[in-house]
Amino acid sequence: MRMATFSDWVRARSDEQLVALLDHRPDLASPSPATLLSLAARATSRASLHRAASTLDAAHLVVLESVAVLGGAGTTVTADRLVEATAPDDPAPGHAADVLAVLADLESLALVWSPDGTALRVAPGVDEIQDAYPAGLGPPDRSPERPATAPQEDGPVDADDVEDVLGALDDAPPGARSILAALMWGPPVGRVPSTAGSPTAVPTRWLVRHGLVRHADAQHILLPRHVGLALRGGRTHRGLPRPPEPPAEQRARPTVDAEAVRSAQEVVRFVTEVLLDWQEVPPHALKAGGLGVRELRRLAQRLETDQTTTAFVVELAAMAGLVADDGDDPASYSPTLDADDWLEADVAQRWAALASAWLPSARAPWLVGSRDDKGVLRNALDPELHRSWAPRLRGEVLGVLRSAPLAPLSAHDVLAVLRWRTPRSVPPVETLAAILHEAHLLGLTGAGALAPTGDVLADVPAQTVPDAGAVTALGERLDALLPEAVDDLLLQGDLTGVVPGRPSPTLEALVAESADVESRGAALTVRFSPASVTRALDAGRTGEELLAELAAHSPTPVPQPLEYLVRDAARRHGQVRVGAAASYVRVEDPALLAGIVDDPRLHALGMFRVAPTVLVAAAPIGQVLAALRERGVAPAMEGPDGQIVHADRRTPRVRVTGRRARRLVHAARPVAAVPPEVRRERLAGLVADLRRSTPPDRPVPDPGAEDVGGTPDQGTAADRSTGPRAGRSGDHVGAHGAGTTEPVVALGMLREAAADGREVWLEMVGAHGVPQRRRVRPLRVDAGRLRAVDVARESELTVAVHRIVAVEHIAPEGPAAPPEVSGSVPPADPPHDPKEPPHA
Amino acid sequence: MPDGPLIVQSDKSLLLEVGHPQADAARRAIAPFAELERAPEHMHTYRLTPLGLWNARAAGHDAEQVVNVLLDYSRYTVPHALLVDVAETMSRYGRLQLAQHPVHGLVLQATDRAVLAEVMKSRRTAGLLGDRVDDDTVVVHPSERGHLKQVLLKLGWPAEDLAGYVDGEKHAIDLSPTDPSKGGTPWEMRPYQQHAVDGFWHGGSGVVVLPCGAGKTIVGAGAMARSGTTTLILVTNTVSARQWRDELLRRTTLTDDEIGEYSGARKDVRPVTIATYQVLTTKRKGVYTHLELLDARDWGLVVYDEVHLLPAPIFRMTADLQARRRLGLTATLVREDGREDEVFSLIGPKRYDAPWKDIEAQGYIAPADCVEVRLTLPERDRMLYATAEPEDKYRLAACAPGKNRIVEQLVARHEGDPTLVIGQYLDQLEELGEHIGAPVITGATTVKERQRLFDAFRTGEITKLVVSKVANFSIDLPEASVAIQVSGSFGSRQEEAQRLGRVMRPKADGRTAHFYAVVSRDTVDQDFAAHRQRFLAEQGYAYRIIDAEDLDQATEDHVD
Repeated sequence: MRMATFSDWVRARSDEQLVALLDHRPDLASPSPATLLSLAARATSRASLHRAASTLDAAHLVVLESVAVLGGAGTTVTADRLVEATAPDDPAPGHAADVLAVLADLESLALVWSPDGTALRVAPGVDEIQDAYPAGLGPPDRSPERPATAPQEDGPVDADDVEDVLGALDDAPPGARSILAALMWGPPVGRVPSTAGSPTAVPTRWLVRHGLVRHADAQHILLPRHVGLALRGGRTHRGLPRPPEPPAEQRARPTVDAEAVRSAQEVVRFVTEVLLDWQEVPPHALKAGGLGVRELRRLAQRLETDQTTTAFVVELAAMAGLVADDGDDPASYSPTLDADDWLEADVAQRWAALASAWLPSARAPWLVGSRDDKGVLRNALDPELHRSWAPRLRGEVLGVLRSAPLAPLSAHDVLAVLRWRTPRSVPPVETLAAILHEAHLLGLTGAGALAPTGDVLADVPAQTVPDAGAVTALGERLDALLPEAVDDLLLQGDLTGVVPGRPSPTLEALVAESADVESRGAALTVRFSPASVTRALDAGRTGEELLAELAAHSPTPVPQPLEYLVRDAARRHGQVRVGAAASYVRVEDPALLAGIVDDPRLHALGMFRVAPTVLVAAAPIGQVLAALRERGVAPAMEGPDGQIVHADRRTPRVRVTGRRARRLVHAARPVAAVPPEVRRERLAGLVADLRRSTPPDRPVPDPGAEDVGGTPDQGTAADRSTGPRAGRSGDHVGAHGAGTTEPVVALGMLREAAADGREVWLEMVGAHGVPQRRRVRPLRVDAGRLRAVDVARESELTVAVHRIVAVEHIAPEGPAAPPEVSGSVPPADPPHDPKEPPHA
Repeated sequence: MPDGPLIVQSDKSLLLEVGHPQADAARRAIAPFAELERAPEHMHTYRLTPLGLWNARAAGHDAEQVVNVLLDYSRYTVPHALLVDVAETMSRYGRLQLAQHPVHGLVLQATDRAVLAEVMKSRRTAGLLGDRVDDDTVVVHPSERGHLKQVLLKLGWPAEDLAGYVDGEKHAIDLSPTDPSKGGTPWEMRPYQQHAVDGFWHGGSGVVVLPCGAGKTIVGAGAMARSGTTTLILVTNTVSARQWRDELLRRTTLTDDEIGEYSGARKDVRPVTIATYQVLTTKRKGVYTHLELLDARDWGLVVYDEVHLLPAPIFRMTADLQARRRLGLTATLVREDGREDEVFSLIGPKRYDAPWKDIEAQGYIAPADCVEVRLTLPERDRMLYATAEPEDKYRLAACAPGKNRIVEQLVARHEGDPTLVIGQYLDQLEELGEHIGAPVITGATTVKERQRLFDAFRTGEITKLVVSKVANFSIDLPEASVAIQVSGSFGSRQEEAQRLGRVMRPKADGRTAHFYAVVSRDTVDQDFAAHRQRFLAEQGYAYRIIDAEDLDQATEDHVD
């Protein structure tokens, strides 16, 4: 009975195990695979393996690497051996349990499997996603291309002899030991001394002669894998990596809260200011989309902050759907209909809307101001300014912050944690710093540590849009942190006023309208000036009303200078009056004018007297002329510049519609959150379907193969393009009963065969378009190509995968390959030429 | 403390609630490191500046104390970034020290090698530093001591000057125990003056900030007595020089022969020499001709009067005087040219500071009633003003003829009280002088004539004087209790401080001083006045605005 294959193992998994697999590796379930065989094939595809590996933490990767080194390519390794191989110098008592737990995880992810239930090996294809020198070990010595049938003189020593040779190291020239020590834990490549007189030349020669190292090329020596392992005492790693310790520094809870609240209030104020500014004069969008540098600078001045912060604020407003491109030509950015609701909400809810829009947004505001590959400056609101990984990274950063309560984390601290959690996908430290800065500006952190507000946001499931409940919870949490509102305004003789705390909404509105802010923070200092008081009068208050309102908020009487200032401003306010009229009538004779203004027939014109000899009319000039002519006066029309146009300063709101606008809101709209139970239920249904469509024993050609074509593997589209021929070959292979035409499954079978060193029948279309059928031993499936050894012709061939029509198992009449070959895979990235003559 | 009197803003301003029970304790606690920016009735505003924090460091306060004070008195959580910034800023002072090395003379020592490396690499220190003695020490050319301190401050690493001072030529000076002008009654320094002298002497060199009328001259005399060496006193003008001389004769054991005047008129160099800034900064053929005065004697002490007016050339000369003790006297560290940092690096850190209101509360300066009288221009003048060229507008508004009548009214109201009318424009002043029958002092008046008029004013022989801006600085008119300002130089706050100072000297009978400003409504005059008043209000002086038409009844209530 031949050894069980990976597909067999997958088929043998229980339903629960399969559900867990699909749950942890969602890419396998979407789109739904047709059979368990195609599921197994998909699980071994390079893209899927990369994806799975990128979610592993450093400890899992170490164990996986260890299994790959010790249990790759047709060999297996026991769990006990792995515990030893990853033991630290002084193993802690929990080490074995840790390793076993990690192994269980890896098995549930189908990265490690067990052909016989006890011994372990890596899934096919895992070898290929390892580093060039996994675990810092050199390639295994005997490669299939050059079977070590007749060891040459000075050739590599056998694994069994290594111990002896190492024992003889005492006799080695000085320096040999240190060379070995340097190469021992990798990288296993060293430079050959350039001159014969170099102090390391002699020991190097000795090591090469005794087969402890060999030449990789003319300049480099390489420590072979078995020697490295022997030197390490059979270990692959010096223990499992531990998660980094968070910094010991701690912030006080009140400090964190206060800082976070301060930032949260600030960012809400900034966004509010932007909306108020843009509703008066909407800035034009650049031709390529985005906000011009000049406008950004102007806005930064208005907000009294730097341009980076301003860019973030503008982007944040867009994320929350508060501003959008109005779609006109030329386009400009205006507040949306949502902005009106937002402006009416209280600080906490306004903030919650911003924070919950930030988390799932794929926008990348930190790139504003940098230059792209072509050297073009990136502008705020640039439609191209999004990164699909941004939502995930934001979630991860919040998660890391949460894992270290009250500790101020720098970008480097976060990086260290991420390096442990997902060593395969570590973001640049600058990006982390940018995201931390965003969290700081939003008030999710305070003094560098996660604030309670950020904690609520960190609860939102990864890469999902927070639902209404979460938004409300966010607002409530901030509301609880906000200091109590103060309703007192201390008015002073130098025309300043101080609100000794957070102003209540009515007080805030009053001072915003009637005074200029001098200093913000825990308290608010404002200054009254003629201009600011005039502003309040413009808004419809009278001087007396304003004084009464100020007095109502002031615990002391309004100081005389301020009272004088308000009265003085009120006196001057309205000295010059401006109104709107469509036309005017000038008459030299006041008596005639009086007749016109009192004539009931002319009332429809809406005329009234502004001076003894001047009337203005609401009706346009044409109507007035006609009406006056009808009445019998002979009016003359004055020059064309008598017309005053009433201009509403507010521009119409735009609706968020169309793709362009949506992209600003969520450039890559993440999926809505699905509760885990629902998801698992769905997966269980899928597994049941898979079981039904997969015969217990062997795979059949899958008529639904086209449906699976969405997997991110190479050659799929090409295969589809050769449809007719594929179909015909499929029939042909189908006659044999063991082949497959489904490209993903075919590739899976090739990978399995490569991992096991087995031979298969390969149906392929040759260079001249002629179908061929060859018996090959696959070596490697990589980058859209298959490398294989044609057993009959004793030659190596490389086939583009889209030329592969079908793959078929060879009937298990005997051992598929010579035993000494079966356990080998080609080195992942062979740096050496095996034909190179040994060093003389 | 959740209910503290202090609110710490993130923009580094501190708001102090005056009515709070702990306000006084908090005020005393923050005074060493925060600059009082304004002191209106309810909330005083202080500001944290690097100079202020370094002043505190120089006075021996460390960052921990400052942070603790903020935390102790703050009502709300203190912004974290601000605390970090305070600690960071304060730690910068003193990492570099100027010291005397037994072998190499003047050296710059570092307690932080990286800082030394940074400043040595800077292009600005090129030529100021000599050879490196060891890793932490580098030789400084003795002539560049002041210049180096200026540069280091600009680089943000102010050096602590521990290099000491030359002893100077000994000359015994004592404070006289009695006051000859008051019939030999005994007197002694007021407590705050004594504190100021102690603070200065302890610190070596530095600036003492006292309000006008608080007796800065006496602090100078006290410092001279403590020093007991020959002294060079630099003052703003000749009148001021005479007053220093009179005050020194009165307060110390110095005799007439021991005090020399070095001015445009006389060039005496005596153990105590009083020189004017003007004569020192006189240039002939591009050279300062009177520089030798600085080396004429081995001065043990250099006193700078009115530091905030110190002209730029004096700064450059001072850079060469770093080995001598330096005392700066001023009413305000605010310089309209923003060169506070040069005062810090060249004269020294602030050594003593007392808010006006405190000293007023102690009865050493007079309380003041500040009133702005607004004059509505007649129709014709308004038209004239509206159509005038912008550069003429202020003059037109300031010299409005209607002001004469108001001044007349005010003078009549305070008939018999010593009254000063202060203005900017000479023809206006001449006219006013005629109008109210008072002598006019301008830049053209001879020193002798000025002295005569001042003396007559002091003795009560005349009660009204019209003065131009020459009277702004350092004239001492002890009994002026009413000041009427008709025009000023474009709203200078400093000028306002000086003018207010004219009436702030304590009155024998403890009367309230009156300070009037007459302005034309709806003109630039009013805008400038607003700027000046802001200063008054910030200093804690309530002021009222009344319309000229209401003058009669409005002042009725306040004249006693």
